Amino acid sequence: MTRYVFRGLGARKLRTALTALAVVLGVAMIAGTYVLTDTIDEAFSEVFQTASEGVDVSVTGARPAGFGSGQAPPPIEESLLQRVQDVDGVRVAEAGVFQQVTILDKEDERVGVGGAPNFMASVSEPPFDAFRFVRGAPPRTADQVGLDLKTAEDKGFRVGDRIRVVGLPGAKTYTISGIARFGQESSLAGAAVAIATLPEAQRMAGYEGKVDSISVAGDDGVSPTELKERVAAALRGEPVTVRTGEEEANRQASDLQDQLAFLQTALLVFAGIAVFVGAFVIYNTFSITVAQRTRELALLRTLGASRRQVLWSIVAEALVVGLASAIIGLLAGLLLAQALQELFKAVGADLPTTDSVVRARTIIVALVVGTVVTVVASLAPALRSTRIAPVVALREGLVEQRRGRGRRTAFAAVLLVLGLAALIAGLVDGELSLMGLGAVVIFLAVAMLSPLLVRPLAAVVGRPLERVTGITGRLARENTLRNPGRTAVTAAALMVGVAVVAFVAIFAAGLRGSIERSVDSTFPAGNLIVVDQDGFSPVSEQAARAIGEVPGVDTVAGVRFASAQVQGRTGTTPVIGIDTGAATRLYRAEWAEGSAATWGQLGDDGVVVDKNSSIGKGRQVGDRLVLTTPTGERVTYVVRGLLDAGDFSLLGGGIVVPNDRLSRDFNVRGDAFVFVEFARGADRRATRAEIDRLLAERFPNAQSQTREEFKDEQNAQLDPLLVLIYVLLALSVLVSVFGIINTLALSTYERTRELGMLRAIGTSRRQVRSMVRQEAVITSLIGAVLGVVLGVLLALLVSRPLADEGFTLTFPVGTLLILLVLAAVFGVLAAIGPARRAARLDVLRALAYE
Amino acid sequence: MTDIVSATDLHRRYGEGEAAVDALAGVTVGFPPGAFTAIMGASGSGKSTLMHCLAGLDTPTSGTVVIDGVELGTLSDAKLTELRRDKVGFIFQAFNLLPVLTAEENLLLPLTIAGRKPDREWVEQLIETVGLADRRTHRPAELSGGQQQRVAVARALVHKPAVVFADEPTGNLDSKSSADVLRLLRGAVDDFGQTVVMVTHDPDAAAIGDRIVELADGRIVRDEAVVAAQP
Repeated sequence: MTRYVFRGLGARKLRTALTALAVVLGVAMIAGTYVLTDTIDEAFSEVFQTASEGVDVSVTGARPAGFGSGQAPPPIEESLLQRVQDVDGVRVAEAGVFQQVTILDKEDERVGVGGAPNFMASVSEPPFDAFRFVRGAPPRTADQVGLDLKTAEDKGFRVGDRIRVVGLPGAKTYTISGIARFGQESSLAGAAVAIATLPEAQRMAGYEGKVDSISVAGDDGVSPTELKERVAAALRGEPVTVRTGEEEANRQASDLQDQLAFLQTALLVFAGIAVFVGAFVIYNTFSITVAQRTRELALLRTLGASRRQVLWSIVAEALVVGLASAIIGLLAGLLLAQALQELFKAVGADLPTTDSVVRARTIIVALVVGTVVTVVASLAPALRSTRIAPVVALREGLVEQRRGRGRRTAFAAVLLVLGLAALIAGLVDGELSLMGLGAVVIFLAVAMLSPLLVRPLAAVVGRPLERVTGITGRLARENTLRNPGRTAVTAAALMVGVAVVAFVAIFAAGLRGSIERSVDSTFPAGNLIVVDQDGFSPVSEQAARAIGEVPGVDTVAGVRFASAQVQGRTGTTPVIGIDTGAATRLYRAEWAEGSAATWGQLGDDGVVVDKNSSIGKGRQVGDRLVLTTPTGERVTYVVRGLLDAGDFSLLGGGIVVPNDRLSRDFNVRGDAFVFVEFARGADRRATRAEIDRLLAERFPNAQSQTREEFKDEQNAQLDPLLVLIYVLLALSVLVSVFGIINTLALSTYERTRELGMLRAIGTSRRQVRSMVRQEAVITSLIGAVLGVVLGVLLALLVSRPLADEGFTLTFPVGTLLILLVLAAVFGVLAAIGPARRAARLDVLRALAYE
Repeated sequence: MTDIVSATDLHRRYGEGEAAVDALAGVTVGFPPGAFTAIMGASGSGKSTLMHCLAGLDTPTSGTVVIDGVELGTLSDAKLTELRRDKVGFIFQAFNLLPVLTAEENLLLPLTIAGRKPDREWVEQLIETVGLADRRTHRPAELSGGQQQRVAVARALVHKPAVVFADEPTGNLDSKSSADVLRLLRGAVDDFGQTVVMVTHDPDAAAIGDRIVELADGRIVRDEAVVAAQP
């Protein structure tokens, strides 16, 4: 029986290969995701190991409870250094600063490939010198910096050149004193780093008397653990965390892993979609195989094969195909990981590269998923094969099996209701995995119901074709209706991918609209908006101050973002800083309680809360909020007003406080956006030119934008993400195209005789090709139409809760139409092979074919 | 009168070397217009190969075939297809109707493929003649074997081809249906002046023709007019 299985696979090479491909892609994405994220983990672990080389003990600020790994530890007092140095067993201790800045190249553009971060680090002496100078010398004065080798090479900087760096006080021009390697590497994981003296680094970071960390090396014979305990004892009561060098490296690595977990999950979701689509293709292929082999299987039964043996022959085939494809997929995943790294680079996320990391988990998950999905998808057809009666072997002609249609529809309807229920429950609880499960069940239910929809849909998409192409279109449409179940499942595979694409497109359109409206509704006035070149990094608070002094400027107001831990709540709450002095002029908000005048009456501890946000629910004016800020500060604020802001209002979603309080209590010294309004009668163009000149001179990382430019820029920030999502979804669509190829190949094969007859009575090859092509187009359009409809419905459902918060659903009709056209194009592409085969048919042999 | 279809010194060899088989070993034959010719012979005599070569479905190893003044050997596949579409009608042993089309649509297929408008009067007359007026919207699966073959006969006639080739048209039919189909072919020749070439191994079927050509081992061994017409 097993030999029979292998013979069968060999005899159906094309079919086997296409089925395998459906599995290969999904598995490759899973394996690729793991390899990619593991490789990134590994690369950064190495980076952190290098950084902590020579460090026996590290002292950093204690991250306040309630803040996640995304929050950098707060700075610590520099004065602690003396106390650490005095600890018995400490050979040498050094304070360090490592903060984000903007480094400018010779054209005054921010350095860093694809948005890689820029840092300023304080210079380190041995044994803490992770940065080693290969040319020149470390910086000795406040006007000197060292530069990492990669940035120096990329941008053509040499020792003695001048270089501009923008920190909190603004831009400063330094002389490059030397070029440094990071450990053995040319850079710190792709980031650009300027190395300055400690006082200069502190000045640029806005750290008066503060540092980020203290590195400690112990005397010989004192173990890091022992030393750690002694340092910790000496610093008891201070808001610091003391770790060994190794622990510190691990902490940094695990912080990063936490943040990468999102990337991993997101990529696995896309891999899951591809696997899900692949399951449709496998199910369909096995269904067709079983149908075509009915006679053969019945013959086996006549010859004495048991039901179990017949079942096994199908399942074993699935097992072999699944395992083989999983292995190929695993290997393909390695290549895909490389490709994904390149893709991430292309859309602006530069990741450090090391050798690919393949963990046992990657291999196990890839093999298990590939094999199990294939076997499970083949189970229904396999079970169907066991119901073939031996007598069928002796009957003439193919036996149509049409049973259980009603039961199947009822079952699908129940599934649909369950899926919707799960989706809605997930929406209500904000439970993403439940929503995902609901969506999967809905897809399955619609796929099961779709045989009923094939006839009307084929008419809708086929009739117009027929009008143009005549008989070939007619036959193509009729051919898709011969076996509605087969067409339905083929189309359903495409439907899944298209539905997700449509859903994403609709949401992206909604988001764009919402961003535009939020800018308009929150800041109805204001002529210019100043932001960082990258669109999201903060701009030094000094910039707003300086712009305010430009002649012709009436009002300047910054908006900044932070988060705080509110007593009695888990997780962090968004805190929005605004310029309350300018508030009445530049911001607009709907008040539930209070008025624009409230901004002026906040005093030293007053705040305004969005009553629609989770923090604002049930709050009253006069309520007290006890907050822990990221610097570990504990402060008590009093609610002075309640906003009725939507989620897409820039002031909504949390606690609004004056900016100076964010500087004082949160150490947040940068504005995300600075809104500028010109004085009445001021020359707009001259004023803007003056502002631009000021920015170029002192804050070259910032740029001014008109409201329209700003909206465009904000929208444009969605684009790389969308491109990435579409590319990942394209892989799922590709899987469903394999399905279409497979179904077409099999169904034209079944119709060999008919094709022979058509050719004999004068149908041209071109007409045969056209017929097969149109069959593919009709099938893919059925899938695309179902997908778009489902995507729209899902978007409608999922956006319901957001609708009250200002998210307005916009239907990107153009995009959706393009999606349909693309689906038709995919159909044409899928048909190339089968159409050619059908057209090349040897007429005589086809007529003799039984 | 000149022949509407003629073959000159046809050879058709399958395979190569020692295993080569000569299905046709020098056949020269002509079919005058408006005649009903039956080609007979045992299995492997070459009768089907002859018909396939005459109809442009198979390419002879040597020799020429001319249909309605056109020599097939010089034609590209596209031209050959066009010639089959316009000048040849086919009737197969296995009916070969498209299951997705109705009886009438199947009947009209050669015209539809060519993108030509049917002559309604002629079509109605055909449907009447083959006795399917009340079956025109039925699909092949809803028709008996005899009915299906009658549709196939009408399909072969609908575009008024130069010649109709019938390959064992009664092979899958009971005796009554066979008689119906043969009568239709006879009628096509007598009433419409159609040229029909029918391959059969059934002497009774062959007897309805005007002339019998018999093949053995790839050669014509008998070529004579049918003396006694219908009883």
